Amino acid sequence: MHNSGKKTIDQMRNYYILLLTVFFSSIIYAQNTEEQKYLLTTHTNTFGLSALSFIDPYLSPLTYNGIGIRYESLSRRFLSPENNTISMQSKLNLEAAVTENPATTSSMNYLGVNYSWGLHYHFRPVQGLQLLAGALLDADFGIKDVPRNVNNPVNMDMNTNLNLSGIAMYDVFFWKRTFTLQLSVQTPVMGCMFVPGSGASYYEMFELGNLKDAVHFSSLHNKRGLNSAFTVAVPFNRSVWRFGCGVNLLNYSANDMVFRKNEFTLLVGTTFDMATFGGRKNKAPRNFITTNN
Amino acid sequence: MKLAIKYNLSFILSVLLLSSCMNEAAVEPNTHRGNFESLWKIIDTRYCFLDYKKVNWDSIYTVYSAKVDTVRGELRFFDMMGSMLAELKDGHVNLYSDFNESRYWKWYTDYPDNFSSSLIKSNRYLGDDYLIAAGFKYKRIANGRIGYIYYESFAYGFSDSNIAYIMNYFSSCKGLIIDVRNNGGGSLDCSKQLASYFFQQETVTGYIRHKTGYGHSDFSDPVAMKTPAHKTIQWQRPVVILTNRMSYSATNDFVNRMKQSPMGIIVGDKTGGGGGLPLSSEIPNGWMVRFSSSPMYDAKMVSAESGIDPDFPVGLRANDEAAGYDTIIEKAIILIK
Repeated sequence: MHNSGKKTIDQMRNYYILLLTVFFSSIIYAQNTEEQKYLLTTHTNTFGLSALSFIDPYLSPLTYNGIGIRYESLSRRFLSPENNTISMQSKLNLEAAVTENPATTSSMNYLGVNYSWGLHYHFRPVQGLQLLAGALLDADFGIKDVPRNVNNPVNMDMNTNLNLSGIAMYDVFFWKRTFTLQLSVQTPVMGCMFVPGSGASYYEMFELGNLKDAVHFSSLHNKRGLNSAFTVAVPFNRSVWRFGCGVNLLNYSANDMVFRKNEFTLLVGTTFDMATFGGRKNKAPRNFITTNN
Repeated sequence: MKLAIKYNLSFILSVLLLSSCMNEAAVEPNTHRGNFESLWKIIDTRYCFLDYKKVNWDSIYTVYSAKVDTVRGELRFFDMMGSMLAELKDGHVNLYSDFNESRYWKWYTDYPDNFSSSLIKSNRYLGDDYLIAAGFKYKRIANGRIGYIYYESFAYGFSDSNIAYIMNYFSSCKGLIIDVRNNGGGSLDCSKQLASYFFQQETVTGYIRHKTGYGHSDFSDPVAMKTPAHKTIQWQRPVVILTNRMSYSATNDFVNRMKQSPMGIIVGDKTGGGGGLPLSSEIPNGWMVRFSSSPMYDAKMVSAESGIDPDFPVGLRANDEAAGYDTIIEKAIILIK
């Protein structure tokens, strides 16, 4: 009886020790997970419907107006988990448009792709407000096509720019939700661009290799643009949607020609945050479940 | 600090103000007057042969400007604009509307045809049993001793394989005739490619320039137009090119290249010219205008606009034609023999 009572006490003590060990180790593990910081990348996929106008004197002296569609994929994350002041952004923009001359006797089709990459510094002057200021490098390639033209049916937009970029984000608490208002502005500062001579044919430039006077340094003296967008991020149960509009104004000149692209776009898209793991140094924590293991 | 900000702001504002001078060229209103002014200005600033042809474009403005306000209706206005363009005497200048296309055809209608399609389709030449590869109609003629190709447009592309088959078919022939009469042109790439089978080394066969400013003689430096020698297919026997006034534009370019071929002989009439690469523009009512923009030259920097002279000028004689002979083809056969 005495022996069996001692055995019971020992068993209870072991049980408590085991329980405490599990309890504290789970707290320690939970604290580790809590303290470990992970970078989230914010992805925004946006679709747009645009009203555009083009002036391309190489193809025509007239203004072409029409509609276009646009897809934009933007991702942004801080450079490191410890530093929440500098973020890196990359953006891919695809666009297609069909436009017509004022007399509707000729059409101009447009296909364009733009990729930009850059950094922003984050200012947080007041609660709920973030101001981002930075610079973006971009590469732009587009094709404008007027099928009825002879020997000058196509003109290519090829340029690269250093852009100044500013973004203001403000959280508004309304209707038990947090809405994020965002205004982004971007303007080219300097770069280089391809602009053919008004009388030069693509046959002479690319078949005979005469690209003289076709590549130009661009800066505010011959290129001015403003690419802005205003969006509202609306949280739903399981997703965040963005709604807004954008205005893109671009004006540049070379070889005695002035080119213009004006665009107004209605935007709709989704935003989500994503953590990425991979490689030896960036393994997913054990409490993250993946199909790779 | 405040002073620095002030200066920086002044700099930015001044740059923006300077850049605000970047305005597009004014577009004329869509009226008869506006369309006339627009068309006249396009030719004045972008057409490349005003000085070469000694055209007084300002006096033409005076003449036609007086008619603009008296013309009634689109058809008559179009005809008036077409007449103004015809003063340039250039087959590469056209005005296109939804209902008509203006043209200048006197570069060949004022000259003898020197070509009969029924004659080359007679049994003495192509007959009915000729072969066709891409745009080439070909057959052995003169008792199988001469290869004859009729090529009616440089708009019809072809491949090395087409040429290899044709040259193999003609391998027993003493020479080759390429007939480009009534060939109004097409692609300069096709012209270069066809010529490349008749060169043994890359040769500068011409030059091209383009308008760089609004002045009538504002041109870029000449750029060499080279004809390469094809790496694997080379015809190394005589080749005679038959020409007439309707050999125009890209065909003119082909003949110009073949003038430099060591095997090439040009027989027939002077070509029609068309030595200005045309570009397009449009006026406010949406009519399109095509005009010569880039003048092309031969290897000695002589303009190709007025045509290429043959090595052997030969015309189609009426009595030969009546007897079923094509005088120009017969001359080519004699030259090859």
